[in-house]
Amino acid sequence: MNELTYHFQPSRRLALQTMSSGFGYLAFSALSTMAAQQSKNPLTPKEPHFPAKAKRVIFLCMQGGPSHVDTFDYKPILNKDSGKDARGFAKLLGSPWDFNQYGQSGLPVSDLFPEVAKHADDLCIINSMHTDLPNHPQAFTQMHTGNFQFVRPSLGAWTLYGLGTENDSLPGFVTLAPPNGAQNYGSAFLPAIYQGTPIGRAGRNRFAAAADQTPIRNIENKKLSKEMQRVQLDFINSLNEEKLKRDQYNPGVEGVIESYELAFRMQDEVPNVLNVASESEKTKSLYGMDDRTTEAFGRKCLAARRLAESGVRFIEITHGNWDHHRNMKAGLERNCGEIDKPISGLLQDLKDRDLLKDTLVVWAGEFGRTPHGQSLDGRDHNNRGYSLWMAGGGIKGGQRYGATDEYGYQAVDNKVHIHDWHATILHLMGLNHEKLTYRYAGRDFRLTDVHGNVVKDIIA
Amino acid sequence: MKPLSLFFSISLFPVLLSTAQEIPADHLDFFEKNIRPALIKHCYKCHSEEGDKIKGGLLLDTRESSRQGGDSGPAIVPHSLTESLLFTAISYEDDSLEMPPKYKLPESVINDFKKWIEMGAPDPRIKAAKPTGLSTYTNTIDVEKGRAEHWAWQKPEMPDVPETTGWGNSKIDSFIAAGLAEKELTPSPAADGATLIRRISFDLLGLPPSLKMVKEFTTAYSTDPDGALEKVIDTLLATPQYGERWGRHWLDVARYAESSGKETNASFPFAWRYRDWVIDAFNEDKPFNEMITEQIAGDLLEEKPGEKTIATGFLAIGVKGLNERNVRQFRFDVADEQIDTTTRAFLATTASCARCHDHKFDPVPMSDYYSLAGIFLSSNTHIGTPEGIQNRHSNELITLPASFHGGGRDLPLPEAIDQEFQLALLKDQAAEIQTNIRDARQSGNNDEANRLRLGLLGVNSRIGIQTAKLVNYSDSGKLLPKAMGLSDRSEPFDSQILIRGEEDNATTERAPRGFLQVVKSGDEQMISTDQSGRLQLAAWISSPNNPLTARVYVNRVWMWLFGEGLVSTVDNFGTTGEKPVNQDLLDYLALRFIELDWSTKALIKEIMLTQTYRMNSEFREEHFEKDPNNRLHWRANKRRLDAESIRDSILAVSGQIDLQRPDGSIVSHLGPGFIGRTVSEVQLNKEVNYRSVYLPIVRDLVPDALNLFDFADPSLMAGKREITTVPSQALYLMNSDFVQSGSEQMASFLRDDLKLRGEKLGLTAYFLAYSRPPTPGEIEKTKAYFATFIEAAMNEGKTRTEALNLSLTTFCQALISSAEFRYIN
Repeated sequence: MNELTYHFQPSRRLALQTMSSGFGYLAFSALSTMAAQQSKNPLTPKEPHFPAKAKRVIFLCMQGGPSHVDTFDYKPILNKDSGKDARGFAKLLGSPWDFNQYGQSGLPVSDLFPEVAKHADDLCIINSMHTDLPNHPQAFTQMHTGNFQFVRPSLGAWTLYGLGTENDSLPGFVTLAPPNGAQNYGSAFLPAIYQGTPIGRAGRNRFAAAADQTPIRNIENKKLSKEMQRVQLDFINSLNEEKLKRDQYNPGVEGVIESYELAFRMQDEVPNVLNVASESEKTKSLYGMDDRTTEAFGRKCLAARRLAESGVRFIEITHGNWDHHRNMKAGLERNCGEIDKPISGLLQDLKDRDLLKDTLVVWAGEFGRTPHGQSLDGRDHNNRGYSLWMAGGGIKGGQRYGATDEYGYQAVDNKVHIHDWHATILHLMGLNHEKLTYRYAGRDFRLTDVHGNVVKDIIA
Repeated sequence: MKPLSLFFSISLFPVLLSTAQEIPADHLDFFEKNIRPALIKHCYKCHSEEGDKIKGGLLLDTRESSRQGGDSGPAIVPHSLTESLLFTAISYEDDSLEMPPKYKLPESVINDFKKWIEMGAPDPRIKAAKPTGLSTYTNTIDVEKGRAEHWAWQKPEMPDVPETTGWGNSKIDSFIAAGLAEKELTPSPAADGATLIRRISFDLLGLPPSLKMVKEFTTAYSTDPDGALEKVIDTLLATPQYGERWGRHWLDVARYAESSGKETNASFPFAWRYRDWVIDAFNEDKPFNEMITEQIAGDLLEEKPGEKTIATGFLAIGVKGLNERNVRQFRFDVADEQIDTTTRAFLATTASCARCHDHKFDPVPMSDYYSLAGIFLSSNTHIGTPEGIQNRHSNELITLPASFHGGGRDLPLPEAIDQEFQLALLKDQAAEIQTNIRDARQSGNNDEANRLRLGLLGVNSRIGIQTAKLVNYSDSGKLLPKAMGLSDRSEPFDSQILIRGEEDNATTERAPRGFLQVVKSGDEQMISTDQSGRLQLAAWISSPNNPLTARVYVNRVWMWLFGEGLVSTVDNFGTTGEKPVNQDLLDYLALRFIELDWSTKALIKEIMLTQTYRMNSEFREEHFEKDPNNRLHWRANKRRLDAESIRDSILAVSGQIDLQRPDGSIVSHLGPGFIGRTVSEVQLNKEVNYRSVYLPIVRDLVPDALNLFDFADPSLMAGKREITTVPSQALYLMNSDFVQSGSEQMASFLRDDLKLRGEKLGLTAYFLAYSRPPTPGEIEKTKAYFATFIEAAMNEGKTRTEALNLSLTTFCQALISSAEFRYIN
């Protein structure tokens, strides 16, 4: 073998030689004078700052920026002026879909969401959302972390840090088939155990996604009994504790230790919780799992309910491809068709199980779209005014809050910024966004930085 | 062809030239006699200014508008029947595009069009085309002002080396020391030899040091640290594993993958050639400026396609929306992806933000974006991929000389003949269905026709895959060497500016092909009318006077060695990116790199020999308080290994690793097809023991071993990886077949190959896993572990031998699963 070639396999002689001289030439630094903090379980439930209305969150995340004027922001004047000149040579584009009023509250919802609309009296539609930038990566990150410039903990991580979780055999923050960008479920400077655990793959490729029927891999140890595995895990942990002691400060290693304990417990719990097959046919069809179009998202919604029921604090489901610059008519119809029934089923099921009262369900994308058209059948990004809705968990249903201008370009009444929205979600969870802080590098950080006002009017 | 193409470009301007001298008389005659009358008779009604209506946005009444085409793309592409949509339409081959819609032209007329296109579509109908766009573009950006206001657009100057206080052995150290002193911080002392050799080995090779290396280095380091370091760095830089490690770094930047991604996700069976080119380039230490040039314009530097053309695979391997129906849209999307990757990879500039409007933050006007777009639109991107309903953009790969090897399997002659036969059968089947469809249509049975059409789609898909396969073989069944890459189009042109990026909303103006005005290298060359401009683009980027190129690259190298860049936003040096934490050091490194003739190896060596690189990673509380993220570098970062190093280490410590480069890739062996349908995940995940850099990198199906440990998503250019710690990683290490069998192999390696027992076995195991002996605490815990585990196993009915064997395997697994295994200090 070439002298330069890297070769790993040592000769026996050399190995023995190395061993016999092994201890001589290595000095190990004295063990830390600073005793490594004896960590107690960081996921233990903590008391909120004040009584919480919502115990958990199911966040339905629509990646790509769904059009507000075609879904939840009814703009009759836009329809009337459709075709007229807008800014920059563009022409206003009325919504191709009709809006109808639903429920006792008479909330207007477009024909894209006939099933969700049946729950109109539970929904609070915020029509006056706005965010800082009209670019996907930044807006998506800001929606999740409040900040697009620096790496900051995500909303789910903050929630978990603030409240712990009720089931220590499951991750407290689960994100189902998340898109690119671990930052969006990351913990940043918060301890690593608070980051979201991704289950399933994100896939633009629907074939790959469909093939991914095993929700979480490697969940079973085929070689060792629980008892033997416990002995092995104790040993691994003791090695890791040694390393942590030597390193004194190493959040990554702390995260490793905690992730092993959690993984060990998950082995029993996860297969049961994610086993949606055990649900009745009636329930499955409630979520649209008996229809090819709605099957994939329905499965995720049902898994989300089961996770919520089992005490998971924050559950996120992503649905992609809402970036309708072109082919909006077909694209929006397809997207909404995939999620309408499943979401409606989720709301109904939560209601039937008396879970909706303390489960906050959120439907939101990173921004909305322009009232003017693009490529005849599409719309561009719009960050200055868009819509989202929330239901359950202490939300006053059956209302529209705030408004955009007559066409839907920008929020004008009761504007709600991402920071305000974050503050409100924390508030519903019993957390004061100004008091939920983490000291890092000599400074107290919070989700809302120095901003954020709780939108009191939407709280029941 | 030259005079014509030159002529075409000029005709974009409102200058009228005489046509007679440009078109040979017989060609002109052919046009006037056969083509013009046919166009007027069969096409003008729907496709001319004077016609009743303009269908599909297509005008066929001028040469310019015919070539520009309509919604679906150019109607006429000289010399290319397959690209000329007009020919596709009149030949009634594609069910979705049949023209004229009500009748098929007589064969003789179709043949005339065929001849005409093949002779280059000579066309005297030259008039300045009526502008298709009605909108105008107004630049809102003051480039000069923007340049003056942001550090990155300004040329670096060699900074003065700060006075130092005795610490350090190099200019780099002086810059670091000065940065630290400003915040009243002090550098950490050098790490011990074992820590250093482990760090060096992973940094250069992505593999743990061999026992021999640890022993030799630690001995030498204790007497002559500088000499020992230099020797080991030189040695490792010369091994082929260096190129595999550093090539993989670059492959992140190049968003390397072996499939198209998105809905269609067609495999790219020849993408691996670019992968190997990158690895070889690092191993040969090809100067980085040459690497840039070859990746952008290598095809233009050689007479016939070879290594340099393979390098342009860089531009071809990006994500493609192959099911896009609109040809023009597809071309703009491909160009956009190329602009995005090129500008971010080399210049850390987000130019593609200016596709729909002037850049919101950086001084990049939309017109600059379209100047770049013209360069890429004037190039062909060769991607191969089977034709079919999910793929409307298959085209030919580049054929390499026979001296290149295949990367797949030759077909034995009988099999080759059989494959041909299968294709012929499929074609017969398709022809029969087509006849039946026509019959059904004529007899008014539309339901039947529609049903048959569905069947035809399936058969056509299979024809597509079969054809794509066979195209890669010679008649005798030999796999032909092919490559992805770029070539110049025969008729380069400047791109229109598209308002809001809409392909159907072009302005009247075209952006002359060129570069980003804000990035001035002083070496901007004229792009002549018969070239795409890629050579000039490469010259502008790789110029030593480009303010960004060298800075961006040395910043990446710094990150690959230290875990964090001097500019932490490594792909964005614009105004929304981070400012350099030590700009003097960054500028020094950039200019020094140019002095070193853009040699990556020389740069790495210079950095690794510094005291800065040698620091230990010990925690110091008062320093941590002041600089918790270690941005000023008061100590070495404790870094988690990347996914490839973790997998390769498991293979290495278990004695399984195969250091040979495989021929091609699993993807090339499986051949053309669609991921998840004709190419299954099971086939892709076949167990192999070669290095991770050679695993199949298929978009949306990255192997678990890589995906779980934060592999860079290959759908986007991502110069920096994230680091997560989640339970799914723990589950993988505890329960996956790969780690369990790796642990068994490691146990058998220690017990059966090295014939070790007892304490010696334990010591060697630690050495393999951590590159150091165990601490007294670890020894004690290990002994206790064996005792406890054996007891537990025997309590569950295992025999003593079974329990012993299992205890050894689980001990090895514990070492592999422990945090120390995947950290370097």
